[in-house]
Amino acid sequence: MWSFSEIANSIHEWLSKTFNPTWTLIFEMVIAGVAVIGLFALLGLVLVIMERKVSAWMQIRLGPNRVGPKGMLQSLADTVKLIVKEGLTPNGADKIMFNLAPFIAMIVAMLLLAPIAFAKNFQLWDLNIGVLYVSAVSSIMVISILIAGWSSNNKYSLLGAMRSGAQIVSYELSAGLSILAIVVLSGSLQVSDIINSQADGWWIFKGHIPAIIAFITFIIAVTAETNRAPFDLAEAESELTAGFHTEYSGMKFALFFLAEYVNVFIVCAIGATLFLGGWMPFHIGNWTGFNHAMDYIPSSIWFFGKTFFLIFVIMWFRWTFPRLRIDQLLNLEWKYLLPISMINLLLVTVMAILKWHF
Amino acid sequence: MNGSDIIFYLLAALTLVCAVLSVSTRQIFRAAIYLLFTLIGIAGIYFWLDYQFIAAVQIVVYVGGIVVLIIFSIFLTQQAGEKLPKQKIGRKIFSALAVFCGFGLTMLQVYQHDFIETENEAITTNVADIGRKMLSTNAEGYALPFEVVSMLLLAAMIGCIVIALKSKPETK
Amino acid sequence: MAVGKYIKDVFGVVKSLATGMKRTLYYFFHHKEIITQEYPDNRDTLVLPERFKGEVVMPHDEKNEHRCTGCQACELACPNGTIKVITKFDMIDGKKKKAIDKLVYHLELCTMCNLCIEACPSDAIKMAQTFEHSVFDRNKLIKVLNNPGSKIMEGVE
Repeated sequence: MWSFSEIANSIHEWLSKTFNPTWTLIFEMVIAGVAVIGLFALLGLVLVIMERKVSAWMQIRLGPNRVGPKGMLQSLADTVKLIVKEGLTPNGADKIMFNLAPFIAMIVAMLLLAPIAFAKNFQLWDLNIGVLYVSAVSSIMVISILIAGWSSNNKYSLLGAMRSGAQIVSYELSAGLSILAIVVLSGSLQVSDIINSQADGWWIFKGHIPAIIAFITFIIAVTAETNRAPFDLAEAESELTAGFHTEYSGMKFALFFLAEYVNVFIVCAIGATLFLGGWMPFHIGNWTGFNHAMDYIPSSIWFFGKTFFLIFVIMWFRWTFPRLRIDQLLNLEWKYLLPISMINLLLVTVMAILKWHF
Repeated sequence: MNGSDIIFYLLAALTLVCAVLSVSTRQIFRAAIYLLFTLIGIAGIYFWLDYQFIAAVQIVVYVGGIVVLIIFSIFLTQQAGEKLPKQKIGRKIFSALAVFCGFGLTMLQVYQHDFIETENEAITTNVADIGRKMLSTNAEGYALPFEVVSMLLLAAMIGCIVIALKSKPETK
Repeated sequence: MAVGKYIKDVFGVVKSLATGMKRTLYYFFHHKEIITQEYPDNRDTLVLPERFKGEVVMPHDEKNEHRCTGCQACELACPNGTIKVITKFDMIDGKKKKAIDKLVYHLELCTMCNLCIEACPSDAIKMAQTFEHSVFDRNKLIKVLNNPGSKIMEGVE
């Protein structure tokens, strides 16, 4: 049967037959890099049009419907526009840092893709600290925003960057704690182990109410971490024009824009891996017939289906709720999410020790 | 020279160049960013050595924590685009001397140490092993230092809260 | 008590957020509720709301008669000088009678506030629903509302 892992294996075999190990490694790296960039471009196109359509339908509008069939080529047209636009660098800006910031945002997004399992046995790097690696590398994300805000030499950018710094640093805590809940349940940080531990049911079902609470905290925290509404204080249009990317234009702006959507995809992929079983099909305990029927759906479809469901949930949040004020934002994290997720982690630990989960 | 060596030298070059830049630049924000790249380079070397846990901790603590704190303090105290004043020549010579003394000491240590080549396969350190070692109470365990450090951190945290507490205005 | 209030707060917030999300999900799946008008495409079938106001017109009947007496109430009522009533005196049965020569209406100044229509004692003018007013020359927006050679309707004082 056609699958990602078989394609990857056949490429690997062909390369190792034709070249020596060093060149094989180099070629595989190049292929992986090109695949990642291609995935990013595709994600940008798909997620932007998805966001615009979802937002339109939720606000009783029609959304883009002029370019291509049903407006589906709108994001392609936007991309062409952004590519041919001039990328200005303001006069008072710190030129090196200003031009570096969008690339850092992109590189961090690329690094985050490494431990994600897209399909059965199809993963760039199954390192044994997978989940910790994700939360570590995603903390570099804030640096690109801080650089962009400072080097623009613009008060709106600086304010946006500071807000976003405070926001990301504080929401990392509850995101980390809700990830830990699943790590405690599955007993491993490795992504493949976590997925395999969900073969007889996803953690959100096996882990009773604490897993559901962890899931909700996780979704809220990652929405804040990716700077999306209702937590988009870093780029609050009505207060800060566009926050940290006020001064950016053309392709440099497009990189920030793309990085935001890729980050949304990545956090949703992590969420799907931890709580909804990644590529693992929907299995119920001992119903062998049902489980076999579910196995016929390819694992990559399971993974992308779950991820896009979570992306839809995050978009749903964005187009339902108004933006929070900065003090409300910090109150929500420090007075509500953090205590709740700490108590929740304690409950999960008790549950894991007493083996109350299925 | 194989691929692994090339990667090591690239990482080392990144670390060293950024370290030199971070002390020689006159814009304080750039210094912080170069420091960040130095720390990322070190994390990269840990990854290269297959010490993945240490590498991740390096990124979480230094990049995600300390550099962000440094950048925040720059944001709150400095003005964008302004250069720091030039240093006096005496200071420059003194700090160069200090750096060279440190460098010499380190190199001396490195050359005096006998690196024993092992025949065994390299083992990847597991997070579970680190955790067990950290909390075991036998002779090779680190339970006591671990607890002492956590007490210290707790004390620091309480201290922060006490400092940050606003005294309520007295109601008459 | 503080803990009770805290827990109540959390549940209240979750409940109210869920209500909002239910509404948007309803809209997401019910495309019939979409209120956007695809204007140039649906120009033939466009239905404007009853109270939409496009411009001031003066209706004439088939005998080319209008109801305007030239009382200038609309000109006085207009907040920004959109209407100018130029009057003349007709000699009817040897008596001088006031009538309008021209009722000049500056569409470019009009804010569609409807005050002139309310001020008119004889219902001579009303609001039309036309709205495609764009022209290349600004002078074309200055309109004379009464048709050339029109008269006042009999019986309107």
